[in-house]
Amino acid sequence: MTATLEREQQAAPMAPMHRKTKVRPYSVFRVIALTLIVLTFIAPLVWMFLASLKTNVDIYDSSKAFIFTPTLDNYDTVFGRANYFQYILNSFWIGFASTGLSLILGVPAAYSMSRYVMKKSAAVVLLARIIPGVSLLVPWYIIFSNLRMVGGFEVLILSHMFVSLPLVVYIMMSFFDSLPLELEEQAQVDGLTPIGAFLRISLPLSVPGIATAAILSFIFSWNNFMFALVLSGAETKTLPVAIFDFVAYASIDWGGLMAAAVVVTVPIMVIALFTQKYIVSGLTAGATKG
Amino acid sequence: MSTVAIQKQGPRESFSRWANKHRKWVFAAPSMIFVSLLIAFPVGWTLYLSLTDARGSVRAESDFIGLENYADVLTDFDRFWPAVARTVYFTGGALLLELTLGMIIALLLWRPFRGEKWVRVAILLPLVATPVAVGMMWRLILEPNIGFANQALAWFGIPAQPFLSGQDTALTTLMFIDVWQWTPMVVLILLAGLTSLSDEPDEAARMDGANAWQRFWFVTFPLIRVTFITAILLRGIDALKTFDILYATKGKGGGSFHEVETLNVYAYGLSFDYNKYGESSAVLIVFFMLIIGCIWLLTARRKKDNS
Amino acid sequence: MQRHSTLRVAGIATAAILAATLVSCSSSSEQEDEGSKTLNVTLANHVWTDIVTASLPAFEEETGIKVNLTQLGEDQLSDQYNVKLNAGSDEIDVMMYRPLQEGKLFAQNGWLADLTDYTESNDEWDWSDFQSGPVASTTVDDEVVGVPTITEREVLYYRKDLLEAAGLEVPTTLEELESAAKTIKDANPGTAGFVARTGVAAAVTQFSSFLHSQGGEWIDDDGNAALDTKEFKSAVELYGKLIREYGPANVSTDMSWPEAMAIFTQGGSAFYTEADSLYKNATDPANSTVSETVGFAPFPAGDDGARPYNVPSWALGISAESPNSDNAWKFIEYFTSKEKVLEIQKEGVPGPRASVWDDEAGVETYPTDLAEAIKASAENGVGYDRPLVVSVPEAREIVGKPIVVAITGGDVDQAIDDAQAEFQAFLDDEK
Repeated sequence: MTATLEREQQAAPMAPMHRKTKVRPYSVFRVIALTLIVLTFIAPLVWMFLASLKTNVDIYDSSKAFIFTPTLDNYDTVFGRANYFQYILNSFWIGFASTGLSLILGVPAAYSMSRYVMKKSAAVVLLARIIPGVSLLVPWYIIFSNLRMVGGFEVLILSHMFVSLPLVVYIMMSFFDSLPLELEEQAQVDGLTPIGAFLRISLPLSVPGIATAAILSFIFSWNNFMFALVLSGAETKTLPVAIFDFVAYASIDWGGLMAAAVVVTVPIMVIALFTQKYIVSGLTAGATKG
Repeated sequence: MSTVAIQKQGPRESFSRWANKHRKWVFAAPSMIFVSLLIAFPVGWTLYLSLTDARGSVRAESDFIGLENYADVLTDFDRFWPAVARTVYFTGGALLLELTLGMIIALLLWRPFRGEKWVRVAILLPLVATPVAVGMMWRLILEPNIGFANQALAWFGIPAQPFLSGQDTALTTLMFIDVWQWTPMVVLILLAGLTSLSDEPDEAARMDGANAWQRFWFVTFPLIRVTFITAILLRGIDALKTFDILYATKGKGGGSFHEVETLNVYAYGLSFDYNKYGESSAVLIVFFMLIIGCIWLLTARRKKDNS
Repeated sequence: MQRHSTLRVAGIATAAILAATLVSCSSSSEQEDEGSKTLNVTLANHVWTDIVTASLPAFEEETGIKVNLTQLGEDQLSDQYNVKLNAGSDEIDVMMYRPLQEGKLFAQNGWLADLTDYTESNDEWDWSDFQSGPVASTTVDDEVVGVPTITEREVLYYRKDLLEAAGLEVPTTLEELESAAKTIKDANPGTAGFVARTGVAAAVTQFSSFLHSQGGEWIDDDGNAALDTKEFKSAVELYGKLIREYGPANVSTDMSWPEAMAIFTQGGSAFYTEADSLYKNATDPANSTVSETVGFAPFPAGDDGARPYNVPSWALGISAESPNSDNAWKFIEYFTSKEKVLEIQKEGVPGPRASVWDDEAGVETYPTDLAEAIKASAENGVGYDRPLVVSVPEAREIVGKPIVVAITGGDVDQAIDDAQAEFQAFLDDEK
C-alpha cells in the first residue's frame, strides 16, 4: 500500500513532462489505433442492434444497410411470443441462486485452500473447469431424472453452480493469497476463534473480491448454453436456449433472431457497464502472481 | 472465557470447538464434495462406456470390448486425427492472434489517458456478450449472399468471400470470431500484469538509449512473462473446449466436409447424432487427457519461470 | 460471540447442502400430486406448432387436461430426445418426431409406445383416412408408433417473369430444366438458373427426387449399397452440374433450405427444387421479393419418370415411458382429427389425410399451380427421401458426400467409389 503510494508520488512529476515533450507522435498514433480497435469491437454489436430494428426484407437489402425505417415489430414478436418475460426471469433467478450458493460454498473453501495451501484439494475443484461438458450431459440427466429433479430449477442451479463454483474458488483464492495474515492473528489474540476471525475480519475485507466473483459467475451462468439446452424444461428455459425459437423448421426469422439476441445481451452488458471495475479485477485474478 | 466454556460444555460449544479445530476441512469439504459428486459418476461412466460397444441407446445391451474403441479412434484418419488437427489449429491460431493483438492493445492502454474508462468498457462488451447470440450475429453478418460483410467488401471492390460457408475459410473465420470475442480478456489480463510493474527498469533502459522495441522485448516482456503464461493457460483451456459458437454457426458435424469439426464437436456428434456412445466416450477421454497434458506442460513452465 | 459465528457457519453450510435436496423433494412430490391431468408435450418449432399452440386453451377446456408445452428447434429437439429418452425419462408424454429421420432408431430403442390399439379404437377419428405412404413410415414391425401430422413433397419453384422473358415453357423433364436453367443464366448475368440445397446432409432429401426419377436407389432389394449404379451417377452429376454451372456465383456447400430459400426469394435464381411445405416463404411479401412472380410446377421427369418424394416430415408419438398415455392419446386424437387437419392445412401446412386433399376447402387457400403440383407428386411419389436405416444422420453424411463433391466439381467417380464402400460397411455394421 505504502509502496505504491511512494511510487506514484515519484512518478507523478516525471510523467507529464514526457507527455508534453517527446511522446506527441505516439499520442496521435495511439488515438488512431485505439479508435480503430474500439470500432472493431463495437461495430458487429451495433450491426446486430440495427438489424433488430429492420424488417426481414430490409435485412436482405444492401442499399438499406444504414438508412431504413426502424421498426419495433421484432421486439413485439419477441415479447409477444411464448414467455419471453418468463425466460428473462428464469435466467435471472438461476443466475442469482447459483451465484449465491457458489459463494456460500466457494468463499470458505477458497479461504481454507489459500491459508492452508491445499493445492491438491484446489485441483479437485478446478477440475470442474477443464472437464468437457459433453461428457456430463447424459450421466447428469440420468442422475437427476432418477432424483426426479429434471425440468425444475434445482437441476439448472446445480449445473450452473458447477460452472461458477470453480470460478469463485479460483478468484477468491488469489484474493485471500494477497490478504495479510496479521489482522486475523491479531483478532485471534483478542479472543476470536479462527472461524470468528474469518467471519468478522477477513470476510468484510474481501467484499471487493466477492463482488468480482459474484458478477463473473452471474455472467457465466447467464451465458451458459449447453447445460440449459439439455436440462431445462418448458417452465425453466433460459434465454440462450430461447434464442433458437427463432430458427424454426420452416423459416429463419432474422429480425426476430437479432432482437432476441439483443434482449439476451443487453442486460448482461448493462451489468458489465456498471461493474466493469470488478469484472476486470476478476478476470485478471491470479494473473500477476505465480 | 475459555474456562467458562470448558465448565459448561453444552452441545453448541462442543460443536464450535470441533468446527474450529477442523476448520480447514469444514470450509473446504463442501465444495470438494459438491464437485466430486457431480464429476465422479460422469467420469466413471464415460470411462466405462469407452470400453463397451454401446450404441443406439445407452440402456441397450452392450458388450465389453476392452480397448477396441481407443484402437479404432486412434487409427481413424478420416475423422479423429483431422479433428485433432483442427482443434490444434483453431486453438493455436486463436491463441497466437489473441496474444499478439492483446499485447499490442494492452501496451496502447498502459499509460493513463483521457477517456480510458470508455475504451475499457467498449473492449469489455464482446467479452460479456452471450456466445450463442454472438454466433447468430456473425451468421447474419457473414452470410455470403445477404450478409453485411460482403456488402462492405463490395464497397472497396473486393470480391465476395464465402466466410463461414467456405470449405477452406470456415475454420479460419471462426478463429477470427474467437479472436474478436476473447482478445479483450487477454488485454485485461496483460494490462493487469503491466500495471503492477514499476517504472524504474523501463526508465533505466530509456536512459541507456534503448528504443521502444528493445525496451519492450528485453525489459518489459520478461517481467510479465508469468502473466503471459497465465493468459495462455486461461484462454487455451477455453479455446480447446469451444463449443457454443461452433454449434450456433455450423450446427452438428461442423459443416458438409466437417470443416470446423473439432474434438469437442466430434464427440458431441458421435453421441447425439450417430448415437455411438462407446466411441464418443473414448474420444472424450482422449480429449480430456489432451487438456490435462497441456495444462501440465504450461504449469510446469510457469513454475520454472517463477523459481 | 464465538458461539454465534460458529453456529452461523454451520447453519450456512447445512443450508447450502440441504437446500437443493429439500427443494427437489418437495417439488417432485408436488408434481406427483398433480397427477395425470398434466400432460408434457414436446413440439418442434413449426407453423403447425404455432397453430396448435393457439388452440391449446380450447383443448384444455374441453378435456380438463393441462398441457405443459416444450417447444424447440429441430436440432435442439433431437438433442433433448437423445438425452431424455436415453435416461429413461418419464418427463415426456407426447413427442413430435421425424419418422424418416429418427423413427427407426427410436422404435428400435423401444422409446416409442405401440399405438396400434389406440388407432383402431375410434372409427369417427378414422385411421384409414391417413395416406398410406405416411402411415407406412410411422409403422415399424407392424406396430403403429406414430400419427403423421405434416407431409411434404418436392416441387419445382420457378420465376414466371424470367421464364416469360426467355420465352420458355415450364420444364417437365430434367433435361428441359437443365437447358432452361442454362438459357436463363446466360441471358441474365448475376441471376442463377438453378438453386437447391448443398449441405451434405441437407441436400440428400432434395436430391432423392432426382435419384428416384433417374431410376436409382440408395439401397438395392438385397439390402446392399446401390451407389455404384449408373443411375446414381447420372443423378449426382446432374444435380452437381445444375448448381455448379447454372447456380449462384461462389456457391456455398453449406446451404440448407434457409440459405437456398433466401437466394430464391431475393430474386437470385430462376428455378429451385424444394419441399412444398415451405412455399409460404416464397409467397409471403414480408419475406420474399418474388412473391408476385413465383410459380409452382410438378417435379420434372427423369429417365424413369417423375418420382419426387412424398413423405411425412413430422409425426406425433407417445413416449414408451409415459405414465400418462391415455391423455397423451387424447391430445394426438384432438389435433389429428379431420377438422383439425383441415383447419391446419388451410393455414398452409399440408396434412396427411386423404380427405383434406379431396375436399375443395382443403386446397382453396393454396396457389392453384401448387395444389396441382402437390396432387401430381402425391400420385407418383416415393415414400422416403433418405436411406431407410437406423442411424439416418450418419447415412446421410455418407451418401451425401458424392453430391457435394459433384457441386464443387471434384472427382465424382472417386467420391462415389468411396461412398459406396463406406455405405456398404455402414449397412453391414447395422445388420
